[in-house]
Order: sequence, then structure tokens, then C-alpha cells
Amino acid sequence: MSEASINPPAPNPSAPAAGSPPPPAPPTDPNKVTLTIDGQTVTVAKGTNVLEAARSLGVDISAFCYHPGLPIVAQCRQCLVSVEKNPKLQPSCQQVCGDGMVVHTTDAQSTLARKQQLEFTLLNHPVDCPICDKAGECTLQKLYFDHDNANSRVDVPKVHKAKAVDLGPTIVLDQERCILCSRCIRTCDEVAGQHQLEFAHRGDHEVLTTAPGAQLDNPYSLNTVDVCPVGALTQKDFRFTMRAWELDATPSVCNGCATGCNIEIHHKNDRAWRLVPRHNPDVNAYWMCDEGRFTYHGLRDQRLAGALVDGLPAGWDRSLAAAGERITTALRQPASVGIVLSAMYSNEDNFALASLAKAWGVTNVFVAAKPPVPARADGRLRVADVNPNAAGVQAIAQALGLATRSTFEGAAQLTALRVLVMLGDILPGIDPDRLRELDLITLSAHERGPVAGAKVALPVADWAEIAGTITNNKGHVQRMHAAFTPPGQALPAWEAIAQLAAVTKATLGRWTHAREVFKDMTAAVPTWKSLTWVREARPLALRFAGSRG
Amino acid sequence: MAASDVTSLKQLVLGRQDVQDLSDTETELAPELMTINMGPSHPAMHGTVRIVLTVDGEKIVKGDVQPGYLHRCFEKESEHATYTQVFPYTDRLNYVSPMINNCGWAMAVEKLMDLTARIPKRAEYIRVIVSEMSRMTDHLTCIGASAMELGAFTAFLYFLKAREWLYGLLEKVSGARLTHSYVRVGGVSKDLPDNFDAELTHTLDEIVKVMVEVEDLLNNNRIFRDRMAGIGAMTKAQALASGCVGPIARACGVDYDVRKDYPYSIYPEVEFDVPVGTTGDCYDRYLVRIEELKQSIHILRQCLKQIPDGPVVVDDHRVALPPKRDTYNTIESMIRHFKHIVDGIRVPAGEAYSFVEGGNGELGFYVVADGTGRPYKAYVRSPSFVHLSTAEDLIRGHFIADVVPIFGMINMIGGECDK
Repeated sequence: MSEASINPPAPNPSAPAAGSPPPPAPPTDPNKVTLTIDGQTVTVAKGTNVLEAARSLGVDISAFCYHPGLPIVAQCRQCLVSVEKNPKLQPSCQQVCGDGMVVHTTDAQSTLARKQQLEFTLLNHPVDCPICDKAGECTLQKLYFDHDNANSRVDVPKVHKAKAVDLGPTIVLDQERCILCSRCIRTCDEVAGQHQLEFAHRGDHEVLTTAPGAQLDNPYSLNTVDVCPVGALTQKDFRFTMRAWELDATPSVCNGCATGCNIEIHHKNDRAWRLVPRHNPDVNAYWMCDEGRFTYHGLRDQRLAGALVDGLPAGWDRSLAAAGERITTALRQPASVGIVLSAMYSNEDNFALASLAKAWGVTNVFVAAKPPVPARADGRLRVADVNPNAAGVQAIAQALGLATRSTFEGAAQLTALRVLVMLGDILPGIDPDRLRELDLITLSAHERGPVAGAKVALPVADWAEIAGTITNNKGHVQRMHAAFTPPGQALPAWEAIAQLAAVTKATLGRWTHAREVFKDMTAAVPTWKSLTWVREARPLALRFAGSRG
Repeated sequence: MAASDVTSLKQLVLGRQDVQDLSDTETELAPELMTINMGPSHPAMHGTVRIVLTVDGEKIVKGDVQPGYLHRCFEKESEHATYTQVFPYTDRLNYVSPMINNCGWAMAVEKLMDLTARIPKRAEYIRVIVSEMSRMTDHLTCIGASAMELGAFTAFLYFLKAREWLYGLLEKVSGARLTHSYVRVGGVSKDLPDNFDAELTHTLDEIVKVMVEVEDLLNNNRIFRDRMAGIGAMTKAQALASGCVGPIARACGVDYDVRKDYPYSIYPEVEFDVPVGTTGDCYDRYLVRIEELKQSIHILRQCLKQIPDGPVVVDDHRVALPPKRDTYNTIESMIRHFKHIVDGIRVPAGEAYSFVEGGNGELGFYVVADGTGRPYKAYVRSPSFVHLSTAEDLIRGHFIADVVPIFGMINMIGGECDK
């Protein structure tokens, strides 16, 4: 690029300066370029495309095929803008910003191009909005309404294509709705590393398809549904269940494995309806795996909603008294009490229980964690460790000076125990028959596994229902927000643990909110000293968010 | 036994003196003030309002007026509804003249969108027609109910009969008898029904006959005049100071009518008079309302003559829903319909205050828009609320029975006052 031709001519130093010295030239960073978009000047990093530069100014350039996490193909022609000194319109997604460039997005030429492009895109689009799952969060609806909003001029029949094409185990394709932007093809290529989708045929018969006999079955396939700007790709798990604009979105973190992908829980009426990835460049970029998306089903699986004693509903007061009596008796010999921390529960919950172990003087501390699944690890987002918080539990136990063993190693110690207080519903490596000989007191969201045989079972909130943090395998302590209230009498686990401390007369922090547990925890764990509690996020009603495309 | 001994014995046994032992002054009731409740569930307490009356015998010393029993969070609810979804809420403000509320809200939004000058002529005429019909139902109800509360049941039945004719016509226009939700941003939801012209003309002729009957019954009726004239009088200064508008202010001689002073819609194109009273008492308020009924009939007849043919909603894709035929058959119209319904009409950021002459006076809507499909803030300047604030002054010094005509002529409508 010849900069001299674009930059304004430098003031000639030999020319008479008319009394005042010339203004100092602005400092130029070789890695930055400055350009003008719609009369506004913006300085961006070298290599940024015009579309991103415009978005940083709040100028909305319409686009279908451009996605910040995918390679650029400039296929949809929706983002054409006029760049001065260029005879033709330029696709702003592909046009790299140059120093001194002057871009117009609202001039007659690019406005008309946008309108015409939308008219073409809608030419064969079916009248499906009322039955389309994407309606309400559809980029095509949004862009048509914002940039075109003209009547149809078509008086010939539309070209019909296949509807409800079964693409694979998770996705259904509607070829009529597809606008051929190729985002899904690139998503499979980039995120899953598998080229499973392709276009076939030409012109208005062009369709998205898999190779004959092949399926769209990669473990990241549902990201294609997220990036689909229309309702061509729909998730079998979600379609026809809930209208998008009726949902509320609460930011959280996926509890499916140790990666901790940032997600949004989309929920309504105290129930999650789907999980979608939330952008975090350090963890998951724009993506998450299919397995993680389905973890929301577990939130309603065999939930424990009331406190039980010997498997019968007893209410909190009686159950706590029963637990307290057993624990107090057993604590005369602290070696006869065991505590199980859980890699499936939050930092706050584990910190509360670990602190209680310290207060009781219990040294038999185990960590319950699901065994690794080596087949999951693919060098992308999926890892072998399927516990969301193993790193957090380890850091907390270490900071509190507790020697922990995994439940696999702890099986041998069981004979010495009379009472086992456990968080969660898994005890991998321990024979269920041996648990019958001791008093099992559980704090669990689900009534399954060992919880079914517990002497006292206390109901606690699951991950989507609590404010708290979990620590992923890279050591990021990530915040989860409560999307809805836990069922029945269930309390956040740290709160149940604090009540257990009270009935056993143990001294624990006087916590009234997870934030206070977090404060005590970060004070105790040296590497978490600098962490701060993120303010509670209020659920965002998607109907107020408009179409987020 | 001596008489004094008997007295002391009585006192010892009965603990009191006999009645005849007391002096005359002590047999009367103690001259204390009494507190009594009027409402909230009193037939004359329009909608629901409570007045805690402090009375000295029959005379009112103090009246503590407590509105709010019909509060429906109109303003807050509006922030969660699209601009179009607010129309049904406005129906429930002054539910005796909902069409005027509809128009007021539509005009405020149109002002924000800079659409006012582009509303089709026919839509403007329809708006004025339905507004004046609503004004008539409002006044017919107010006068009829007030007369009934004073014992004149015949007048009530006659006027309610006339009101029902208008309600029937409005039902033909909008599909609903009471809560019409008929007006839309940019025009009205549908055109007038077939044969509307003839039906309205006939109805107006009939109403004129009814009004002659009722005026004969009431105007020089001894009881009616005794109960109305000189009761609840308000001076012009008082009316201005407390922000009174509409028939109440005009009865005091305040010559203010939004239709004349800040002309909107096609009111400049029709000829009508604004009646003004002199004494500001209940009887003048009655006379002003009667005259306004006649003026409304006059306006309606002119409108029926002048109304042009044409579209009833502005031809602007930002606000107008596409025709149903297109919605079901083309994707473009389907998307537009969907966006209008789900996201709402997108109103550019800004704020506007717009006001119309409601049944009870200046009805204003203040809207703050933030560029989305829902108001950021909505406020209604409801005349009933202002008028009710004068009630305490008006009833002070009158008898308890006078509360009824005073309150009737203030014409407080619960839905509008309590928002």
C-alpha cells in the first residue's frame, strides 16, 4: 500500500508558517491505522476489517456470512460499503482498514445495494416465521426490517426445496430457509475440524447438504445452529418447544467438563430450555460442545426437593437435628467422621464444607470426582476430565491445609468411619454395600446413587440455581449466576453446610450470601487473593433484547 | 328517708343519677365532630374512591379524599408493552370515553415519529367521529348517573338508552362495546363499517329527541335545581390555580378547550362552539355538558358530510401492519408483521407531550422513547386526578347529601384518576 497517496499532504516546512508554528503531528503507532467511517474517525489495529471498525463505532453494517470467529468468505454480499477512490462497492468484512480510508455506509449506492441484496435473499424464502424456531432471533428478519422493509415484487412461484432434512443425530435442516451463507460449513471446518457440510447444485437450486450417506455428527455440530442466521438448521432438542422471545437469558458456565465454557442459560418458568455459548476469548471463544448443551436436562433429573431422614420426608429442622445428633456423637472420635468434597460443586460449597471439616477437626477428607474419559479429549474444547471444578477443590483443600484423598483411595478407610458427610451424589470407587454400615449424611441436588441410601439427605441447589464460582482446568475462576430458584426446600449447599455447622455447634463464617463465602474463600486461597465478586446479573428478557442475530 | 338520702342511695346502687335528675343541656348530644366513611364501595363513589368525612352534624368540616383503589400501574405497565400494546391499557383509563384515550396515545407516539402531518385525512375524520361519539357517551353517563343519584331515575334510563345506541355503533366500528382499542399509531385499525353514515345520522336524530325529553325533565325541575344550583361552586381563579380543565373549568368561565386553543386533527375544519358557564356550580357544569352534547352532534354531522374516501392508516412500513393477505402470502410482509407484533413499532429516541380534549378535559400523554419498540417512560396527565384534588375544597361546608352531586359533576372516573 502506498501510504503517500492516501495520507493528506504533509505541510511543507519551508513554507512561511503564517505566524504560528505548525501543529505537532499526532503520534503514529505503526500497528494502528486511522480511517473515517460515515464521518467518524476511528483508530483500529492494523489488519482489522472495515466491518469490525464500523461496529466499534456503533455503525451497524448488515451481514449474513461474516462471523468474527470464522474465516471470511465475503459470500453474502450484504455488507457492501462504498470506499472513496474505489469504483465499486467493497465487502466490508473482507476489506482491511487502511490509513486514511474514507468509508460510507449510508450513501445511496450502498443503501441500495443492501436493499437489493435483501430482496434477492428473500426471493425464495418460505413464509415460515410463525412455525420457525429462529423467529425472534433471526438475522434475516432483523436485517430486512432495519435495512429494506419493502413489499414483495415477486409474481412467480417460489422455488421449493426439501424441508425437514434429517442431517444427523442432533440437527434438522430446512433447505428452503437456507440463505447459503456457508457459516455452518466453516463452523464444522474450524471448530470441529471436520468438513461434513457442503453446497450442492447451482443457482436457485443450490442446497446445503452432507455427502451422500454421511451425517452431520461431529461433537460440535450444534454450533452450526447458533451461527445459522436463519432457521435452516434447527436443534432437534429445542425445536418446537419454546419461542425464543419468551425466554430469559442468564450468564453462567457449563458444568459438563473441566473446560468451563461460558454459556447463557435460556430459561422460563424456573426451567432451563437450552444452553448457548457465550463469547470468552480465553476459554471457549464462541463455541461449546454438543454434550455440554444437553447438560441442562440433568437439572430436572431425580431432583431432591425436600430433606429426608431414612428416605422419608422430614423437613429441614428434623433432618438437621437427626444429622447433628449423629455427627456430634461421632465427633467424640474425630477419626470416625469422614467428609467428601465434590468436584461437581462450586468453589463456595466446597470451601464451606472444607472449613467445616477444619472446624470439626476431621482429617478424613475425600474428593469425589468422576473418573476421566480419555476418549473425550480432542485438543479442542472437550477434555478428559468431566468434573467442572476439580481444580477449585484442590486449591481450596491445599489452602486450608487439608490432606485429601480421592474416593478411590479412600475406600480402604471406610471401616474406621461411623459417619460420612458428603457433598454431591457420587462416590466412585466405593462399594455401595459398604456404605450401609455407616451413617451417610448427604448434601445433594439429586436423589440417586448413594443419596438413596442416606440416613439424612439434605436437598441443595444445582449449578444453574446458584450464585457461585467454579475453577476450570486452566485455573480460571468463573462466575455462575442464578437463573432460577431451586425446587422445593433446596438451599444452596454452602447454606445447608452453615446450618449443619450450627446444629453441631461448630464455628463457621456468618454467611448470608454466596458473596460472603467467596470473600472468606479468596482471603484464604493465596492465588485467588485478587479476585472480585461480579455483581449479580439480572436475567435478560430476550424479547427486550430484540433480534440479536 | 330524706330526698338527698334517696339520691345518694341511687348513686350507690345504680352508679348513676336518673335521667330526670340531669339538667336540660346534658341530655343533648355532645357537640363533637364525627368521622364517617363514604366509600370506597358506595354507589355514588364513581369507580372506587374513599372519602373520610369529618362532619359537624350534617355539615362537612373536612373531607379526606383517598383515591387509588383502582390503580393498575398504567404507566409502569406501558414500559413493558410495545407501543401498540398500550392501546388496550388506555381503554381502561377513562373507560367511558376510551376512543379519546386511544387517539391521545396515538398522537403522542406519532409526534415522536414525526408522523402527525402524514396521517390520512380519512383516518383523522374517523378519529374525530369516534372521539365525539365517545365524548357523548361520557357526558350522557355523567349527566344520567348524577340525575339518578339525586332521585331522577327516568333521566338516567333515557340517557343510558341513548348511550347504548352509541356503544352499539362503536361496537360495529371496533368490535368491542366498551374497550375498543380501535385507534393505531398512524391511523385506525380498520375502516368504518358499511352503512355507518346512515346509522349514525339516525342515532343522532333519536338522541336529539331524548335530550329534549331529559332537558324538560331536569332543567327547571325544582328538586334538581335545588340540589345542583349553588352547590360546589368554584371560582375561575380557583379553577386555574388547581389546574382544572374541561367542563368543570368552562363552567367557571375559563374559555379553554384543546380543540380550539391547540387545534389538532381536523377540528379546524369543523365549526363548533365552546360553551362557557358563569357561576361554576354543579348546575352550570350540567348545562355546559348538555351544550357540549349538542356541539358534538353538530361536529358529527359535519364530519359525516366532509369525510373523504381513502386509506385509514399511513402508508409507512415503519408503523403500518401489512394487509393480512400479504402477511400470509409473502415473506416480506410476514417478517414486517412479526417484527411489529413481537418487537413493536420502533420509535426514535426522544420525548413528546401530546394532549387532546378528553371527556373531562385536557388528557395528556408524555412519552419518552429510547429507540426500541417499547416506551422508556409513559406518563398520563389525567384530568380526573386533577379534578378530584379540588373535591375536598368543594364539599367543605356543604351537607353530606351534597357530596353526591358535587362528586357526580366532577365526574371522577376511577380508571383515569387512579391510572
